[in-house]
Amino acid sequence: MRKILRMEYLFSRRQILIVLAIFTAYFAYMAYRIDSPRVFVIMTSIMLGLSMPFISLGREDKFKTAGLVCSLPVRRSTVVLGKYVASWTATVFGLGYALLFTAVFPLSKFSASEILSARTLLVSLFLISLIFSVILPFTLRFGLTGVIILLVGLQLLGVVAFALAQFAGRARNPMRIVVRAIEGGLRVLLHHKLTPGFLLALLAAFVALNAVSILVGRALYLRREL
Amino acid sequence: MDQAIEIKKLRKEYRGFALDNVTFDVPQGFIMGLIGPNGAGKTTIIKLVMNLIRRDGGEVRVFGLDNLRCEPEVKSRVGFVYDIPRFPEDLRLRTIASAISAFYDKWNDNRFRDLLDDFRLAPSQVFKKLSHGMKMKFSLAVALAHDADLILMDEPTAGLDPVFRFELLTKLRALIQDERKTVLFSSHITSDLERVADFITFIHKGRIIFSAAKDEILETWGVVRTAADGLRPQDVPGARGSRRTEHSLEVLTSDLAAAKGRLGDRTVCDKASLEDIMFFISKGNAHA
Repeated sequence: MRKILRMEYLFSRRQILIVLAIFTAYFAYMAYRIDSPRVFVIMTSIMLGLSMPFISLGREDKFKTAGLVCSLPVRRSTVVLGKYVASWTATVFGLGYALLFTAVFPLSKFSASEILSARTLLVSLFLISLIFSVILPFTLRFGLTGVIILLVGLQLLGVVAFALAQFAGRARNPMRIVVRAIEGGLRVLLHHKLTPGFLLALLAAFVALNAVSILVGRALYLRREL
Repeated sequence: MDQAIEIKKLRKEYRGFALDNVTFDVPQGFIMGLIGPNGAGKTTIIKLVMNLIRRDGGEVRVFGLDNLRCEPEVKSRVGFVYDIPRFPEDLRLRTIASAISAFYDKWNDNRFRDLLDDFRLAPSQVFKKLSHGMKMKFSLAVALAHDADLILMDEPTAGLDPVFRFELLTKLRALIQDERKTVLFSSHITSDLERVADFITFIHKGRIIFSAAKDEILETWGVVRTAADGLRPQDVPGARGSRRTEHSLEVLTSDLAAAKGRLGDRTVCDKASLEDIMFFISKGNAHA
């Protein structure tokens, strides 16, 4: 797996640095405009989670190098694991850079201690896991086309849900239920007392999400024909 | 004779195409050419050996090892060259090589540099700035730098000019003579195979037509020519295909000696080239 990581690094390091340099303007703007450090961390996590893995996976798609990786003496399951770890490494690196930058940025509205709290970091990791668990298996199997299909599929689902909402009453509105569930989940993540049990549950959910996602990604990648 | 690759009853189905119980061996220390028209299944076989696509049945063993169960061990002994080299286009050759070298215990940097010199490539060159021929050479240098025992190449000479093709084939020939490597390469350019291959496997519509030593094929296969009304194709011993024009009949036979013996002076019998064989079987009226 270290070899896959090294390859991902050598193949995409310049692009990762370019993207982070561009994102710096966004980090500066957000740190200057947003009052809540939690909102900043959540927004940044979502943005990095949605962009960092696709730097290397997008390049793999563009240059069709998946065939190269799979012709090397390594099992596909190892390739999948390597790609997850590479995605995590790039995203955590990006997040670390964003938090560090915001902490030292003179016009920032929050201090380092506000951003670098255990809760915000755990919530960030959890949100990134959620994004990866949905998107990475599709990308590994179908490439960026897979992500587009997934996003279009989700939009169609949204249209169906919206149509259903028109027919169902306010109380039984399915969209309302979904939005409430997400809102409730975020509230728990952000406001639940930081007990050891809560932290353990969060950690367990984080591990389980990633494990399931890797297993699904592996099963899909084994079926990929190159 | 030890076998580098043993393929038994290999099957792969696509919509409109099936690789049908393909069985053949590639002897160790020789060059085998996989020949057939476009869409015959050559690339499919090579990709199945490399486990780049999933097989529907059958077995592939490389140096006696199952290619799925022992995938890393098998691939560490194989140098693979795609028909279109697949590397990140915007990187320098040394960066690409550095990323790939870590996967091979037997990677030899000096050998890689020598090969680049030999191919007149510089490590600082950016991949996308190379011509197709140079990209193929780089691909070959990568495949050879880790002392692979088996070189697998999918249409390596397609799209190359004759000078590049000659250079590449000379290199392959030298490789076999000096180091006893095994090479399996697919091509529809029959002259390339006639120049370097020791064995030929002909595939058509997903089925193996024959797999034999090149010299034996060129010695035993022939084309029988006669006037259009002088003969029926089935009268020719070992008839495998025929082509009739307004004034003549040409029949491909896999038993030239028997055809000469039976038909004697009534016909003109010549040895068949690989191109003749490919043409008659894929374009003429093929006979069982």
